Amino acid sequence: MASDPSISASAGPGISSGAGVGVRSREEAQPSPSTGLGPYRLGLRRLRRNKAALAFGALFLLIVVLCLCAPLYAEHVAHTTPNANHVTDTVTVGGVRKDVVSPTGQPIGPTWQGRFLLGADQNGRDIAVRLLYGGRNSLEVGAVATLITMVLATLVGITAGFFRGFVDGVLARILDLIWAYPVVLLGIALGTSLALGGITIGPLEIQGNSLMVPAFIIGIVYIPYVAKPIRGQVLGMREQEFVDAARVGGAGPLRIMWSEILPNLSSTIIVFIPLMIANAILLEAALSYLGAGVQPPNPSWGTMISDGIRLIPSAMHLTFVPGLMLVLAVLGVNVFGDGVRDALDPRAKVRLEDVQERAEVQR
Amino acid sequence: MQVRAGFLGAAIAAVLALVVAGCGGGGDDSSTSSSGASSGGSEGGTVTVLMGTAPDYLDPQLGYTTQSAEPDWITYTGLLTYRHATGSAGGELIPGLATALPEISRDGLTYRLRLRDGLTFSDGRPVRASDFAYTIERAIRVNWGGKSFFTNYIDGAAAYDSGRADSISGIQTDDATGDITIRLTEPYGAFPNVIAFPSAGIVPRGTAMRNLSNDPPPGVGPYMYTQASVNRGFTLERNPRFARFAIPDIPTGHVDTIRVTIVSNTQSEAQRVLNNEADVFDPGDTLPPSLLPQIESQAGDRFSREPIPSTFYFFLNTTKPPFDNEQARQAVNMAIDRDAMVRLASGFLKPSCWFIPDGVAGHPGSDASCPYGDRPDLAGAKRLVQESGTAGTKITVWGQERSPRREYVDYYTDLLNKLGYDAQERIIADEVYFPTIGSGQTDPQTGFADWIQDFPNPSDFYLLMDARAIQPTNNQNFSKVNDPFIQRQLNRLNPVPATELDSVADEWSALDQYTARRAYVVVYGEETMPKFYSDKLDFDAALFHPTYLNDWTSLQLK
Repeated sequence: MASDPSISASAGPGISSGAGVGVRSREEAQPSPSTGLGPYRLGLRRLRRNKAALAFGALFLLIVVLCLCAPLYAEHVAHTTPNANHVTDTVTVGGVRKDVVSPTGQPIGPTWQGRFLLGADQNGRDIAVRLLYGGRNSLEVGAVATLITMVLATLVGITAGFFRGFVDGVLARILDLIWAYPVVLLGIALGTSLALGGITIGPLEIQGNSLMVPAFIIGIVYIPYVAKPIRGQVLGMREQEFVDAARVGGAGPLRIMWSEILPNLSSTIIVFIPLMIANAILLEAALSYLGAGVQPPNPSWGTMISDGIRLIPSAMHLTFVPGLMLVLAVLGVNVFGDGVRDALDPRAKVRLEDVQERAEVQR
Repeated sequence: MQVRAGFLGAAIAAVLALVVAGCGGGGDDSSTSSSGASSGGSEGGTVTVLMGTAPDYLDPQLGYTTQSAEPDWITYTGLLTYRHATGSAGGELIPGLATALPEISRDGLTYRLRLRDGLTFSDGRPVRASDFAYTIERAIRVNWGGKSFFTNYIDGAAAYDSGRADSISGIQTDDATGDITIRLTEPYGAFPNVIAFPSAGIVPRGTAMRNLSNDPPPGVGPYMYTQASVNRGFTLERNPRFARFAIPDIPTGHVDTIRVTIVSNTQSEAQRVLNNEADVFDPGDTLPPSLLPQIESQAGDRFSREPIPSTFYFFLNTTKPPFDNEQARQAVNMAIDRDAMVRLASGFLKPSCWFIPDGVAGHPGSDASCPYGDRPDLAGAKRLVQESGTAGTKITVWGQERSPRREYVDYYTDLLNKLGYDAQERIIADEVYFPTIGSGQTDPQTGFADWIQDFPNPSDFYLLMDARAIQPTNNQNFSKVNDPFIQRQLNRLNPVPATELDSVADEWSALDQYTARRAYVVVYGEETMPKFYSDKLDFDAALFHPTYLNDWTSLQLK
């Protein structure tokens, strides 16, 4: 996302104008009489044919389900909690009692049994339990951040694109301001300051160590990346006949935005969601790794990687396992997201292939 | 001696009114070897020292970290210095460029010393008594981090600092006789320790009043700087003039050249020493725990953990719930597992429950038992919390990012939750940690704290328990201890001269045991540092000094 994505509203691959299902009025969006299938059912049919996307979607779903089952695993299998320290405890492995953390600070490796299945960290905390709870936290942050991004970006994009002029000028400059900062640096700056004092917006008070703080930060920093394409799309859409028709029919701006514009953006929004979830999970991991995301002792994949770094030569699993989970989760949701985009906007895939073909020829 | 000590000097010295000083000689009984004699290794050669953390300055009047103290100690000898020895013997003050320990007036306000005859700087210029006055003025003028040790006690130093005077009226010198007289504004028992700081190491009159880290001035010491760059490295070479002075108890060194290189990470620092590609791992750096098993198995004969006088503890704010309740404080002391803390420190911690560490006069010693037991009693602690009625209290635990301090706080937070509290962590960047928790606005309930000695004197540690040290900013009495008994004892013990500490060691010990019983803090140990050399060095002959760490004058090639 290096360049202004609003350009892609009129040309190029990715999230483009009409997002594949074209610009339709609400009436046009009804099921086609010739096929009997609406655009979403058609999209679903295409998605079902994309086995790779479904497989990766299933992988992501599996990770989500596993992470949701974290409390069950912790209570009934590992018999601990994610933050419980077992520094001086011992565990019996193959009939031999072993220190969970050795006198020189080396944590135990994978035991391949209920307790300390994947080993322990420096504080003698069960890696498997923290991995699942960390996944919950990472996914929760990713989901909430995506929700914040999508809601605010849609609101800002539609408003800026529809009203143009002064409103667009102000909103576009604010977006530019956020856009101008590198995402990670902005996230670190916000994360470091908000982790200390928390967030207070009127009666809403969020403590510094709440998961909602990184979710809020990530949600905010990604707004321009979604709002700008939406704004570009709305700029084109507001000149379409179905909007004129609604206007002639006496609909006010709010009604037009809600009833005519928003439904035509839905596929764009749907395509953006998995993309933003993947990005949010990655940014959360980066911020947590740098100490500006999920606050200790709460686990997240990012904090677990960070915690394991200093023992990487002797206990590589402390870094490798959460890293692998992160890769699998992001890969799963990304490939599935691509599948959703191809299903809802097959032309985007064709355009993408065209671009790649041209690039090959030029080379 | 860490950068943080500067805050103490600035904040506490301004408010403390310490009383009386005296005179005398003596010192701690040496339990370990003293230096100076060769153990049969070769003389000469070059040693390579690696530092993962660069010194703050190489200018003697500015340096205030262990990395700068190591070279400055052997390059800029002061009027007084410490014996080159390990353990408690290394805390003994000895005459450096002065002929003897100071003669202190009965009221503790006047110190008289005499400069040795025939001394010259490494560039050949003669050393004069007035150079001492200039050195102290320079430390103040270039804004040394601990300058308040001078400005708060030497008469006229504050006026000089503020620009109201051209020189320090409280320091009188006579170049003809070498006499130096220092007049204090109030008695201060630790003042002999203050003039033993490397920053009081004498430089020639006329040395520029600016940071000379890249071109350090000449000094009087076994070694001298021949090349210097704070962030890249520096070289010390044997000072050919020093041996002629034959100053007792100050060794002349064995190797000809000490080449110090600043490296970017401690992993490669340790690996290079392990592979004998470099000779000394700087103890101020953390030895990577991942390499420890390899070091212990492959290089066990050239690696050891050396305790340094320091106190690692969790403070308990006695003015805020739940730790305004003594039972709550006792419960935490009862529950803490010091063995766990040692493991979290990868073994670089010596468990202790006393505020005055081992090696400092007044440490209760092995005969005294911890008031809340040597082993953790979680069940008993939980009962105490229930009885105190503080269970369920929300607690914010403050901590630093760097390892293993974060691991300490993770453990401690879990412990508080096990005791029935609702504890959350607040981890902040190392650089802003102490100013943040020392701010009255933050007024933290509990969290990590440590103290590494500025000088071997119990009063250096008990500044942190002194009610007069409770400040709105840069507070160092984090537990906000305001105990009349402690205050009375401090008023009596602080003025006792550093050279007579042994005479009041039992009283300091009784005070420390009282503090432990009142559970104002949760002390869990004293830091140990790695002494880790290459195969080329004589490991046994090399000394690890309690204040200045590796004594480079004792390094010797096999």
